[in-house]
Amino acid sequence: MEMVCIVCPNGCRLTVQQQDGQISVQGNKCKRGEAFAVSELTNPTRSFTTSVRTTVKGYPVVSVRTAGEIPKGKLAELLQLCKQITVTQPLPTGSVVAANLFGTGVDLITTTNMESANE
Amino acid sequence: MDFDVVVVGGGPAGLAAAIKADERGERVLVIEREARLGGILKQCIHDGFGVVRFGEKLSGPEYADRFISQLKQTKVQTSLFSFVTHAEKSEKGFHLTYVCKDGVKNVRCNRLILATGCRERTRNGIFIHGDRCAGVYTAGAAQNLVNMLGVMPGKKVVILGSGDIGLIMARRLTLEGATVVGVYEAKPTPSGLTRNIHQCLHDFDIPLHLSQTVTRVFGEERLQEVEICDVDDKMRPIAGTEQRVQCDCLVLAVGLIPENELARSLTVPLDPCTKGAFVDQNCQTLVDGVFACGNALHVNDLVDYVSESGEIAACGAASGPRKLLNIDKEGKLLYIVPQRLDVNAPADKVVMYFRASEELQNQCLTVSVDGETVFTKNYRRLLPPEMERIVLDLGKAATAQRIVVRLEDK
Amino acid sequence: MNYEKITKKVAKQYGVDVEVSADERSVFLRGQCGNWADIVAIGKMYVTEGKHVVNDIQLIGHTEQPERLPKLTDSALDGTSWDVVVIGGGISGCAVARELTRYKLKVLLVEKHSDVARGASGANNGMVHAGIDLKHQCLKLKYGVGGNAIYGDVCKELGVDFRRSGQYVIFDSKLIRFFAKGTVKRATRHGIPGVRILGKDEIAQVEPAVKDFAVGALYAPSTGYVSPYQLTIAYAENAVQNGATVSLNTAVLGMEMADGLVAKVVTNRGTLSAKCVVNCAGVFADKVAAMAGDRYFSIHPRRGTDLMLDPKAEGVPTQTISMGPSLKSVSKFGSGSTKGGGVIRTADGNYLLGPDAVEIPDREDTSTNAQSLANVFAKHSQVCPTLRRSDIIAYFSGVRAPTYEEDFIIERSAKVANLVHVAGIQSPGITAAPLFSKDVAEIVRQYLLSAGEQVVLNDAFDPVRPRPVKARQLDDDARDKLIQSDPDFGKIICRCEEISLGEIKQALHNPLGVHTIDGVKRRVRAGMGRCQGGFCMPLITDIIAKETNGQCTDVAKDDIGSNVAVGKIKEV
Repeated sequence: MEMVCIVCPNGCRLTVQQQDGQISVQGNKCKRGEAFAVSELTNPTRSFTTSVRTTVKGYPVVSVRTAGEIPKGKLAELLQLCKQITVTQPLPTGSVVAANLFGTGVDLITTTNMESANE
Repeated sequence: MDFDVVVVGGGPAGLAAAIKADERGERVLVIEREARLGGILKQCIHDGFGVVRFGEKLSGPEYADRFISQLKQTKVQTSLFSFVTHAEKSEKGFHLTYVCKDGVKNVRCNRLILATGCRERTRNGIFIHGDRCAGVYTAGAAQNLVNMLGVMPGKKVVILGSGDIGLIMARRLTLEGATVVGVYEAKPTPSGLTRNIHQCLHDFDIPLHLSQTVTRVFGEERLQEVEICDVDDKMRPIAGTEQRVQCDCLVLAVGLIPENELARSLTVPLDPCTKGAFVDQNCQTLVDGVFACGNALHVNDLVDYVSESGEIAACGAASGPRKLLNIDKEGKLLYIVPQRLDVNAPADKVVMYFRASEELQNQCLTVSVDGETVFTKNYRRLLPPEMERIVLDLGKAATAQRIVVRLEDK
Repeated sequence: MNYEKITKKVAKQYGVDVEVSADERSVFLRGQCGNWADIVAIGKMYVTEGKHVVNDIQLIGHTEQPERLPKLTDSALDGTSWDVVVIGGGISGCAVARELTRYKLKVLLVEKHSDVARGASGANNGMVHAGIDLKHQCLKLKYGVGGNAIYGDVCKELGVDFRRSGQYVIFDSKLIRFFAKGTVKRATRHGIPGVRILGKDEIAQVEPAVKDFAVGALYAPSTGYVSPYQLTIAYAENAVQNGATVSLNTAVLGMEMADGLVAKVVTNRGTLSAKCVVNCAGVFADKVAAMAGDRYFSIHPRRGTDLMLDPKAEGVPTQTISMGPSLKSVSKFGSGSTKGGGVIRTADGNYLLGPDAVEIPDREDTSTNAQSLANVFAKHSQVCPTLRRSDIIAYFSGVRAPTYEEDFIIERSAKVANLVHVAGIQSPGITAAPLFSKDVAEIVRQYLLSAGEQVVLNDAFDPVRPRPVKARQLDDDARDKLIQSDPDFGKIICRCEEISLGEIKQALHNPLGVHTIDGVKRRVRAGMGRCQGGFCMPLITDIIAKETNGQCTDVAKDDIGSNVAVGKIKEV
C-alpha cells in the first residue's frame, strides 16, 4: 500500500508491503519513515496540540501538546480531558498540566511561556 | 550612531537575525509591533516546527521561545508594541522614527534588517462577492480567534485554500468541535505539504474538493451559505456549476503576501515573482544597507528556513562596495532567492531557495556560470508548495558575466 | 396630461398593459412586467411636470424581500412621547435631528441598524458635488450648490475632515470640448464658482497620467471630499450632545393615525407618541409614507458599486478625475444616472473607482457581484490605463433611493399635517444635507408653531462636535505629547492604517454607544487597509470586550446577531 510519512515536512511517499507478518517499507529517506509505517499499521499514534483555559490575565487560553505520541484512538478522551483543565497561574513553557496521559507515560505540557505582556 | 543594526520585526526571522548580529558583536535593536515577541508563531500552536533546526517537533510558541530565551541572554535591546512610522536613508546610515507607549522615538543605525513578515490575501483580493456578513475570516484571523482569544469563529466551516494554514485550521477547528464541511481548492492539486493533507484532513475524514472555489457569500447578520463553483484550467469559475453549501463560517487560506511597506518607502526594488525584495546571497536588497529576510523576503513553508535567512541577513555586513551580478532563472521555476550575487563578497556557500512553477516529475536543476555547470541536482518530484533549498559554491563567479539557474526535464 | 398616449407607447414598446389613475399629487401605475429595468423605464415615462409617479407595476415571479428588522424586541421606548421623531439615521435624518436641537425640543431619532450611516450614506464615494451636471432648477441644484458653499464651515464645526480639491472631467475629443463650453456657461448661471476649461497642456501638468489621451478638461474647483459616514456620525453625535436621543436597533413597524395626523409610531421597542414625524427613511421612505396613508411617490432602488484602490498602485491619478462623455453618449450628458464617477481621491486620501448605477428590485440588496465589479473597472479605469484588478483592495455597494422624478422631496405632507418627508435623497444628498436639514428644521418649527406648540431656542446648543484625535496626522512632536498624556495613543493596533489603541478606545466611548467592529472601522478606519482587518479584527474584538466589560463572544461585527464568534472553545 501507499502511505505518506508525516514525521517531518519531507512527507516521503512510502510503499509498504505486508507479508507473513513482515512489513517492508520503501521510499523513506530516513529510518523514521520505516518506524512510522510499522506503527501506522500496528498501533497508529499521533502527537496532538490544542489549548486549555486559564484564569491568567491576557491569556484566555494557553496552548498545550502531548509531549510525545499517544494512540490515535485516544484523541476524543484527550479533548474531553482538556475541557476539564484550567490553568490558574502563569506557567513557563513545558509545564505539565496532565501527567502520564492514559497510562502512556506521555505528559500534556504547555507550549506558551505565559510571561506578562508589555501592555 | 545608536545601533549597528536595527531589526524591524520580532518574529522568527527577526529574532534569529538579532541573535546572530549580537553574536558578531554588533549593537542591536529589535522593533516589534506587537506586545509580545514571536510574531505569527504565537498563534501557531500546532507542532512540526524546528524539525530541521532542532530535530524536534515543536509547536510554534515553543520554537519562538527557544529564540526569545536565547535573546534574553544577549545585549540585544527590544522595543515592543512599537511601530515604525518613517524610515529614511542618508549618507550616515538610517534614521527610523517609531511610536510606542513611551512616545515618538528616533533611532539611527548603520544597517537595517527588515523582518516584517507577510499578510494574508483577503476576500476582496480574490473577489468573493455577496453580502457583508460576519463569519468570513482569513485563516490567520480565525487562528487568532481560536488560539489567542479562545473563541470559535463558527460551528460549520468551509475552508477555501488547501495551503498548510487552511489544512491546519481544518484540523484545529475540528478538534474544537466544529464541523468542517470541506476544504476547497481552486487548483487541481493541493497546495499544502502532503503530510498535512494526511494528518489534518485524512485523519479526520475532512473532504478535499479540488478545482472548486467559493464565488459568493450569503447571509444577513452571520454567514448562512456560500456559493461554490467549478473552475476551468485558468481557475476562472465556470458558469452553471454553482452550488450552495450551508455554513456559518468561511475561512480563507488563499495565500500570503510579503509585507514590504517599509521596504517600499525606502525605494527597495521588489521582485514581482516573490513579492519580496531582490537580494544578494547575504539577503541584502538592492539598496545598500537594507536587508530582508523571512516571509518578508519570500513566503516560506518551513520556519527553519525563515530563521536561517534571518541569520544570513545578520552576517551580511559588507566590507566594501558590492558588485552585483544577476542570477537568471530559466525553465519551470516560479522563483529563486537570491536573485543577485555580490561577487565581491564570499560566495562559496550560497544558500538558494527555489520553487517549481508547476507540479513536475523527474527534473534536473543546473546552475551554470558563464555556461559552465557548477551544480546539478535531480528531483523525482517537485511541487510549487514545497520549497527547495540548495547550497551552491559560486566562488568561481567573481569574474563571471552570467549565472543561470535552470530547471528542465531530465 | 395625456397618459393614454404614454400607455399606448408603453404597450407597444414593452408589451405591458398599464392601468393608470391619478390624483392632484400623483399618477399611480399598476400592471405586470417580467423585467425590472423595464418597470423602472416605464415609471420614468409617466414623469410629467408637477406630478409624482407611484409605480406599482409588479415584477412577475418576484417576491419582494421582507424588510430586514433588528433581532430585538423590548419596550425601551414604549409609552414615551416626543416633540419630533426622525425616522432614519442616514445623513438626512442625522443632520435634521442635529438642526432640530437648535430648539428646545424633545427629539428622537430612530435607526433600525446598530449604527448610523448604514445605508447609502455609508456606501458612497463622499464627493461633495459642485453641481456641474445639473441642467435645470430643482431641489438638487438649490441644495447641492448651496450645500457645497457651506460645507467647509459645517465640517469644521462638526470636526470632520473636508478637502476641497476640485474635480477634472477629461475630454478625449475636441468636439466634446466644444460642448463643454455650454456646461461652463450653465454652471456660471447656476452660481457654481470657478468652473473652467483646461487646455491639453494644463491638464497634462495637473495629471500626467492622462496626458496621452486628454485634449482638455472641465475643471470644477468647488468639488470637495468628505467621509460621508464620519459626517453622518458627527451629526448624530452633535445631536446627542445637544439633547437629542438616538435609538439604534429601532425599526418603525407602523403608525397609528388620529384626526388625519400621525399620533403614534409603532416600533420593535414599543409604541411612542410624536407631535411631528420626519421621514428620512431612505430606500424605505415611500413605505414609511404609506404607513401614514400618504404614499404619493415611489422609491426605485438603484445600486452603485465602488472599488477601493491600493493607494500604492502604479499610475493612479493623484486628483479626482473622470472621463467626459464620449461622442456617442454626449446627448445623455447630465441626464440623471449617467453622471459622476471616475477615480475619486477620498477625504482619507484613498482612491475609489466608481460608482455604477443598476436598478434593482430589492431595497436592501447591497451585495456585490462580478458584473458590477467588471463594469466599474472597465468604465472608470479608462482614465488610468495602467491600473490592474489586483490593485483593488476592497469594494462595496450601496443602494440609492431615487424617486421617478429624480429630485428630492423636502416638504410637509399635503395630506398628513404633522408628517414631513425628506425623500428621494440620492446624489448629491451628502452635499445637500447640511443645507436642506436647516430648511427641514424650519418646516418642523413652523408646523409646531401652527399647532399651538411653543418652540424656543436652545440656549445651550453647541454646534461644535469635538474632532476625534487622529494621531497619524500629527507631527512627531505633537504626537509625542499626545502619547505622553495617554500612552494608548502610542500602541498601534491597526498596522495598515496606523490606528492606535487610544483612538479605538476614543471611538468606543462614542455618544451613540456603538460598540461594534464595523462601528470602530467607520469611526477610525481600523481594518480598512490592505489587510482588511486580518490582523487587527481579533485585537479589536478583545478591546471591545474589555472596554465594555463583556466577553469576546458578545462582540458583534455590526447588527445584532452578527457576532464575530459563536461561542468559547471547549464549550461548543
